[in-house]
Amino acid sequence: MKRETQNVLLLLVGGALIKIVLDAGYLRYVRPVMAPWLLAAGTVIVALAVIAIVRDIRDARPIPAGQSGSSPGPACADEHHHAPRSPWLLLVPVLAIFLIAPPALGSDAVNRAGNRTVAAPGPDTTRRVPFPPLPPGEVVPMRFTDLITRAGWDSAGTLDNRTIQVTGFIVRNKAGAPFLARIVINCCAADAFPLHARLAGDNLDHYRDDQWLTVTGTVAPNTANEGNRYTPTLIVHGARPIAAPQDTYEY
Amino acid sequence: MTAPARTKWRRGSTGSLRVLCVVLLVALLAQSYLVDLFDVAALRTGSTVFVAVVVQALPFLVLGVLLSGAIMAFLPAERLRRLLPRHPGLAIPVAGLAGAALPGCECASVPVARRLMQNQVAPAVALAFLLASPAINPVVLVTAVAFPGRPEMVLARFGGSLTTAVVTGWLWQRFGRVEWIAERALSRLSGPVGGSRWRVFTETARHDLVEAGGFLVIGGLASAVLNVVVPQTWLGTLGGNLALGVLVMAVLAVVLALCSEADAFVAASLSAIPLVPRLVFLVVGPAVDLKLIALQAGTFGRQFALRFAPLTFLVAIGCAVAVGLPLLGSGR
Repeated sequence: MKRETQNVLLLLVGGALIKIVLDAGYLRYVRPVMAPWLLAAGTVIVALAVIAIVRDIRDARPIPAGQSGSSPGPACADEHHHAPRSPWLLLVPVLAIFLIAPPALGSDAVNRAGNRTVAAPGPDTTRRVPFPPLPPGEVVPMRFTDLITRAGWDSAGTLDNRTIQVTGFIVRNKAGAPFLARIVINCCAADAFPLHARLAGDNLDHYRDDQWLTVTGTVAPNTANEGNRYTPTLIVHGARPIAAPQDTYEY
Repeated sequence: MTAPARTKWRRGSTGSLRVLCVVLLVALLAQSYLVDLFDVAALRTGSTVFVAVVVQALPFLVLGVLLSGAIMAFLPAERLRRLLPRHPGLAIPVAGLAGAALPGCECASVPVARRLMQNQVAPAVALAFLLASPAINPVVLVTAVAFPGRPEMVLARFGGSLTTAVVTGWLWQRFGRVEWIAERALSRLSGPVGGSRWRVFTETARHDLVEAGGFLVIGGLASAVLNVVVPQTWLGTLGGNLALGVLVMAVLAVVLALCSEADAFVAASLSAIPLVPRLVFLVVGPAVDLKLIALQAGTFGRQFALRFAPLTFLVAIGCAVAVGLPLLGSGR
């Protein structure tokens, strides 16, 4: 591949990075804190390409009398011996981002994930520890992570007899039992890992997989244990379908 | 450059530019077909993971190529040599410790190590730096908070990764041969390097980015495929078997190709597995994984990657177990 084509490719790659930051698409792949880094990286990539293009145009001009010959640029001389083909692969992520725009992970990723569990809050992975009480209120909105941690590891029973509210999407296991799930990522979607709660007490058959819901309900005590990979049962009082949030992951 | 040479160069370049335009045009026209094609659940998950790996790694790769450009432009070989002990046996641990100063993922260190070699740093010394920097920098070490109440995990990770880097460096120093490393990796950018340091800096960075970027994509594709294909359920069958756990976690670290800033959280969540295999996962991952093997094969040549990857894999397992067993015991 020749220098000009490489530069065009770099423009596309840098442009793709800048694009997904501007239209918030990057939230489907990485954490929000990556935004400035992606923007900086995209800008540097575009700048390197523009500098090379400008340099080539300048070098290609007729040489004014009295000046030494123009150099083709160090990298270019290198490429005359063997034009590497690997840069063509840079086209793959560019096409993926601009044309396919892969969606955020959903039910398929949940069913694929194996035996990972929420990390224990203490050094002893078998012992429960007392958690601080939940804030007052008739319905307590919670992060999915907090729900799972408290259901699995709280010895003080702070979830008992409290109505909570969580947001997630519907997943069904092989037997067809409905779960509410949410995906946690630490770095990027490659390390994604799902949290789930079994849903009980309400007819949810009319919701398809990946439908986002805000569910209010109570956690059935002692339903999350090591045997079921800390999956609590949530007794549903009400479920409200919502559009998928812009940022679907928890961190 | 002579006139005929220039015309030839021009014609060749329009060739690949034209191919690029045709590819883009076809892709645009076939967009709806492509989208339909990717509407299979497994493909959708795989493509998301692929884009995620590439997007996550690109900022670190850019940091790496900027550093490699800076080394070529602003750090003359003589000064670099004065910074390191003359004896390579001593320079290897020093370079390993110096890795702590480059806070980034593993993608950043490959182009940097290559330019260090070009600046006449002994290959074994540069390789020790390559292995140490993604694993023992402070940003990565603090992620061991994923193991609450186990501060010794930080120490074990630091110790395991540093010994891996140093031992591999020494082994390469003793048994490694220069001819295994592709010529293009060691030769300086040829041609009349006309001009300023600024020119050397931008040209080196651009060149490394284009080359390494392609190989990063290979690594991302491989890890996305395996991420979807390899059933993570076989982790459950491991239970507490220590030896089997070590082996499986080591293979998993290579296959998943996680960024070294994320792997501690993944390891922490595999709570059914004893701590030592999970430490193996943390030590092997930054030293050798699919993404890195692809990057190294692209940068240093296939001959090199064929030898270096298995060597690092075995040394990393050995070091992690040797450091982990006395520190962490065999429990979970």
